[in-house]
Amino acid sequence: MERLLIPAKIDYLDEVTGFVERYLDESGCPEKTKLQIRLAMEEVFVNIVSYAYAPEDGEAEVRFETLNEPFSIRIQFMDSGKQFDPLAKEDSDTSEEAILSRPGGMGILLVKSVMDDVQYSYSGGKNILTLYKKL
Amino acid sequence: MSMDLNLIKRGTEGELKMNGYIDASNAAEIEKIIVDLVAQFDTLILDMEKLEYVSSAGLRAFRHAYMDMRQKHGLLEAKNVSSSVMEVFEITGFTRLFKFI
Repeated sequence: MERLLIPAKIDYLDEVTGFVERYLDESGCPEKTKLQIRLAMEEVFVNIVSYAYAPEDGEAEVRFETLNEPFSIRIQFMDSGKQFDPLAKEDSDTSEEAILSRPGGMGILLVKSVMDDVQYSYSGGKNILTLYKKL
Repeated sequence: MSMDLNLIKRGTEGELKMNGYIDASNAAEIEKIIVDLVAQFDTLILDMEKLEYVSSAGLRAFRHAYMDMRQKHGLLEAKNVSSSVMEVFEITGFTRLFKFI
């Protein structure tokens, strides 16, 4: 298992996505899958940056490991901020009126759509979001 | 991540060739550029052939451009959208905001 501990600040976005991308490049992962994983990681990290500790500062931990049969990757994001289950809300409305009436809310919908599985748990004072994707 | 933008002017029509990524680190800057172009042209064509990646932060830029263009009864068009970016538009309903040419 690989681990990365970084400040929950947007300046660290490339470090977060690069952390897994380096592995995916070496493993010959298809470009489409790589971009989907990058997207999910950005959306989850941006949520932590925006909401977990605001207005205070804090840290985020990212872990990943690969699994066999089927060959897949499991990525976990952890923060010690406010307890929050991003999966508890209903999926965002994607009608034109809904898109125009509010600016955000699409991040978690994208994460759920491009990953094969997403799970939330709260344990030891930490929010843990686990992303799973077949490679 | 980086983004190169090239503008072609044809009178009241502008075409913006987008090359690179739009993510949370550069979306605000790109939003400002696109919204400025919407103010300048009646029709703005976004050539997305080399736009490899858009996250929800980038969608906010397109949403703002669409709302401004609708207000002035102009046209926001998109062409050559890559499959990865189209997937993001389809999941979020943003296909409704563009006229694809």
